[in-house]
Amino acid sequence: MKRETMYVRTGVLIAAALLLGTGFLFAAGQAESPAAEGNVEISIAYPVAVDAPIADILQKYADEFQAENPEVTITPVFSGGYTDVKTAIQTSIEGGGNAPALAVMLATDLYDLVNAGYVTAMDELLAAMPDGDAYIDDFLPAFMGNSYYEGKTYSLPFQRSAVVLYYNADLFREEGIALPTDWDSFAQAAAALTVRKNGQVTRWGLEYSSDWPYWLFQPLAIGNGKNIVGDETTVYFNAPEVVEALQYYIDLSRVYKAMPEGVQASWGTSTGNFAAGKTAMIMHSSGSMTNLLGSSDFEVGVMGMPGTVKPYASVPGGGNLYITSGLSDAEEQAAFDFAVFLTDPEREAEFSKATGYIVPRYSAAETKTMQDYFADVPQALDAMKALEYAEKELALQNLGEVRGIFHKYLQSAINGEMSAQEAMDTAQNLADKALEDFR
Amino acid sequence: MNRRNPLLPYLLITPTLLFVAMFTIFPLLSSIITSFYKQRLNIPKFREPVWDGLGNYRELLSDEVFRQVISNTGIYVLILVPLCVAAAFLLALMLHAGGGEGSTAVLNRRSRNLRRVGKRMNGFYRTAFFYPTVIPMVSAATIWMFFFTPDYGLFNRFLLFLGYRGAQNWAGNPDLALAAVLITAFWKSAGYYMIFYLAGLQNLPKQVFEAAVIDGAGPLRLLVSITIPLLKRTTLFVTTIAFIGTFQSVDHVFVLTGGGPSDRSSLLLYHLWQVRFDQLNVGEASAITVILVLLLLFFTVSNFIFNERGER
Repeated sequence: MKRETMYVRTGVLIAAALLLGTGFLFAAGQAESPAAEGNVEISIAYPVAVDAPIADILQKYADEFQAENPEVTITPVFSGGYTDVKTAIQTSIEGGGNAPALAVMLATDLYDLVNAGYVTAMDELLAAMPDGDAYIDDFLPAFMGNSYYEGKTYSLPFQRSAVVLYYNADLFREEGIALPTDWDSFAQAAAALTVRKNGQVTRWGLEYSSDWPYWLFQPLAIGNGKNIVGDETTVYFNAPEVVEALQYYIDLSRVYKAMPEGVQASWGTSTGNFAAGKTAMIMHSSGSMTNLLGSSDFEVGVMGMPGTVKPYASVPGGGNLYITSGLSDAEEQAAFDFAVFLTDPEREAEFSKATGYIVPRYSAAETKTMQDYFADVPQALDAMKALEYAEKELALQNLGEVRGIFHKYLQSAINGEMSAQEAMDTAQNLADKALEDFR
Repeated sequence: MNRRNPLLPYLLITPTLLFVAMFTIFPLLSSIITSFYKQRLNIPKFREPVWDGLGNYRELLSDEVFRQVISNTGIYVLILVPLCVAAAFLLALMLHAGGGEGSTAVLNRRSRNLRRVGKRMNGFYRTAFFYPTVIPMVSAATIWMFFFTPDYGLFNRFLLFLGYRGAQNWAGNPDLALAAVLITAFWKSAGYYMIFYLAGLQNLPKQVFEAAVIDGAGPLRLLVSITIPLLKRTTLFVTTIAFIGTFQSVDHVFVLTGGGPSDRSSLLLYHLWQVRFDQLNVGEASAITVILVLLLLFFTVSNFIFNERGER
């Protein structure tokens, strides 16, 4: 009997302890971050799935900032890719938790982020800055294009890239082929650089991945005179120029036999193939440049995609710095100060040099660090030049759904399941329907 | 004890109950309720939930993409689960026999040498079959992404060696993408289910097999009439967790195909993620969650009923 009582007591104690524990856990989850008077703690969410030692660089910048501002503590939070950062921000804001105050997210997510109330406009903070207007004017307009919504400024360009064409310059020289200047000469060059032995391809002239296709496709449409996106509720999927661009992409494999047929799921493998000399040209992000220059034992050339009405074309990409919503004034200020600190011209130059991302500010391009780098690695300057004829990246209301539609039908056409015209007509129709609620 | 303190059992399960209520029942109920509302975080006028009745469900059923996803998922589950269970069983049988112990050792009685080699190789095979289980799905998918590379990918090389001359871009071809996702998941999970069969085999009573051998039963007879029926419980368990696991795995879709080309390899859970986090459509995502839970419930319950009926 005594023993039974003991069991009962132990059971009750364990249950009580567990209950209490759960209560504490719950309370801890609810509690505000315990900041002492005047001290601010913020975290910055950062995607690390890029070809560069970004975690180390970011940690260094955070340490430098804290040395200058001892009252601020910055914790970098590294996530996988851009989508992981966005998902993390969403779940913590909706769950009522403490979201990172500053986050690097895709420039194109602007509309969704603002509509959902995840991010805060920076206009007041910029106005309070001694030279706020000059600061904003210093960013390349191509990059600021995705920062404004309803007259407000929501993000600062930071980790920006562009679509570029990488070519094996040694091969062009050996084969005596001139650099392409338009669609025709581009297709000819790609075909001439393709090598076949006994019917088997041993080297492709071109790899042009289409597994996440809108971004790499845009330079084709832009170079042909029509971007696929207009204002925040307009797409031009079935404009004649866009359909032509799609047909040209298809012809590069079907007619010119210069790249593999069908949808190429080769975003991850084409860089390796290029560096190994298995492919003469690839379309890819300028963000892969440092990696490609390091791993190729031949001269790597960089240029925009040759066009028809434009000499060449590109499209910007990459991430901007956003300040999340629901912060205290002190946290917001600290996040903004750190964002300005990160976009300092010298730091931008150093960051660009280390990663291959394009410097988003004119003053950063003019720093000695960057000028020396351009002299040393002229490809970096070529990547920046590719942006001269760039137009804005696909960004509009209801981006996720509209982009999904475009991807689906673009791939249907590439895989030969529909004609280019039919596919783009369907995509236009569905996209218009998906945008109805926003007009 | 019960007489003296009737509250004790309830008190003891309270912590578990609390967790289940908080993390399973509450989210489920909240999903069911939300599925009847139109709520789209990226449209200002639908940011706050608006009553929509069965609107989300109606929209889903008329949505071509959703129908494609359901058909993909059906094919995926109905091929992958039987394939995994069968392979798990065969692998377990092989390892068990190779171990030279227990019921199926009779298969090897004619060759002592073979048995010795088998015993030595057994450790190697166990590791080889089980190691895909230990690595994360993302790593498995990344490995297979390279295996699937056209021209020089290991898997394509292997197929070429076997005389296959068809399309090689597994992740980009509309007819192959789902198969690519399926093969990766099969490779990753068959070894896991094998463990359960191996444990089941090792627990089978030896006497039954000995008696059967004395009665003159051959290896095939033993397998069909004794091993398989005795492992019925294990099969029920493995099939159930395989069903649930198959619905739940999604990482490899992200890595290999992103649901493409043209949604041909999009699975229910991947689509759910897209609708919720890419399209910010909370109402529709909740409706998909409810459908997912119903499907799982249906498969699990029918699996139990099917198996229990045979028992009686």
